[in-house]
Amino acid sequence: MRAYIPVARATYMIGLVYRFGFLFNILGNLVYLGVAYYLWKSIYRYSDTIRGLTFNETFIYVALGSAIFILLKTYADWIMHFEIREGAIATYLTKPIDYQIYALFANFGAMLMNLTAITVPTALVMLFVFKVHFPSGLGLVLFPISLLLAFLISFSIDYFVGLFAFYSESVWGLSITKEIIVTVFSGALIPLPFFPDAMQRVLLWLPFQAIYHTPLMMITRPNQGLDIFLSMILVQLIWAILLFLLARLFYNQAIKVLRIAGG
Amino acid sequence: MSLIHIQNLTKHFKILNRREGLSGAFRDLFSGNYRTVEAVAGISFDIEAGEIVGYIGPNGAGKSTTIKMMTGILKPTGGVIQVNSLAPYDNRIRQAQIMGVVFGQRTQLWWDLPVIESFKILKEIYKVDQKMFDRHMDMFNELVGLKTLYSQQVRTLSLGQRMLCDITASFLHNPQVVFLDEPTIGLDISVKAKIRSLIKGLNREHNTTIILTTHDLGDVEALCQRIIIIDKGKILYDGDIKRVNALFGAYRTLKLQIDNFTESTLQQLKRSLTDCFGMKHGITIAETEEFWTDVTIDQARTPLSDVLSLVMNNFPVIDVRILEISMENVVQKVYDGALG
Repeated sequence: MRAYIPVARATYMIGLVYRFGFLFNILGNLVYLGVAYYLWKSIYRYSDTIRGLTFNETFIYVALGSAIFILLKTYADWIMHFEIREGAIATYLTKPIDYQIYALFANFGAMLMNLTAITVPTALVMLFVFKVHFPSGLGLVLFPISLLLAFLISFSIDYFVGLFAFYSESVWGLSITKEIIVTVFSGALIPLPFFPDAMQRVLLWLPFQAIYHTPLMMITRPNQGLDIFLSMILVQLIWAILLFLLARLFYNQAIKVLRIAGG
Repeated sequence: MSLIHIQNLTKHFKILNRREGLSGAFRDLFSGNYRTVEAVAGISFDIEAGEIVGYIGPNGAGKSTTIKMMTGILKPTGGVIQVNSLAPYDNRIRQAQIMGVVFGQRTQLWWDLPVIESFKILKEIYKVDQKMFDRHMDMFNELVGLKTLYSQQVRTLSLGQRMLCDITASFLHNPQVVFLDEPTIGLDISVKAKIRSLIKGLNREHNTTIILTTHDLGDVEALCQRIIIIDKGKILYDGDIKRVNALFGAYRTLKLQIDNFTESTLQQLKRSLTDCFGMKHGITIAETEEFWTDVTIDQARTPLSDVLSLVMNNFPVIDVRILEISMENVVQKVYDGALG
């Protein structure tokens, strides 16, 4: 495992090397935050709660949701698409490393970068500029664990899609489809409680809600019982392990068709 | 037991037969019409520890495919391949520890970071201890003055500098065998010389086995004692460089552009060369590209200068170029039985 830590460190550093990209990331997110604040403020003008969520809860969900969305978006599928198609994967395969774990750590470093550049500033602005009141409770303590598991699930889905690059010249269409499914079904775009009840019940069985809905619930409704939180984390854990292993099986099949011509 | 043992190695690729045009592309979506391409068609050789072997052949000969099987990236279709007594593909991670690889067309360094960071990452990936790391970095610095490049971002390096870094990086973990796939591609003469002396120095330092594929016969001449020539997936020659050297070392190609060139000019040229130098003149003439006629001369039999003056005096020559013999010519000569 020690061999992979410098890999995460390297991708984190790459985020810092491009200083203007770093600064504009922060700035862009702050603009989005302002837009979201005034949009939902006007939606809530005529009622205090919508589907049981107060303005405060919805704003936390949406604003933090977008920050977490950027945090957990790995781009692993796009990176792999290029690495496999251009043959750059050969340089990884000639090193004593496991490609899946290598990719995991590389993306983990990028995730930490986003944490520094997006999530933490967002939370600070919400606290001190918009004076959002974060409810306290047990959920806040479990939030980091939930977030880490959410990252693992998000990574495995992206990695799984990326592996299709072994078979297809382009995973573009597949990536876009995945993106839409994840964004909608995870509750990143619209909070899950706003969906019809029947749909909510189905969505809760899919891995997507475990990416955004679960960690966000721990922030917006942190004062629920321990048993509710533990079962949520258990579902995340099961999905994280299952998807990781599934992706591994898929890799073992996909690598057999690898064909790198020239150079 | 030799370090690398290869016997009857084959690699087949299944390639979809693509049809022409848009409608063809649509029909290909459901096509099961594959053809098999034999990239490597049964090769055998052994390589001993400490050797520098030139593995050469024209484009598409199967060089890179063989290298990728030796490094464990590709699984052989048939035959035996062992590096240090183990099959590379089935023990990829373990085998990678004793190998170093440079693919000339791509880099193993971290593009966006300063050079030194890549070395630090590789140190951890290969579990190189601090003492060995320091010793090797000192050695690299002595050989190519690496220290001046440490703080530069990899993407800002020149192609030559990047290649020097890439090659030294592949030696960092003191591997038993290093594969250099086209390490001098696209470099100018002076940088090529620098790369060659670096490779020589690194080989001497730890008696590291080096397998070199290249298009530049100068690389082979400067570095290898042994040469393996491959074409169409089969080995054409495996042996001492000296015999091949005599072959391509003595040959030069004279490229001529002659005014108002016609078929009869070609016949005239052939006749006058035979008249002047006799039947056994060791000269072949071919029209390779438009307006250019190639005259390949065996200098052991006929001096180049004699041919040149003959041509200049008797034909309306517009332009002349003199080339060292190309890889394709060497392979052609071997086919023609020159080493037989």
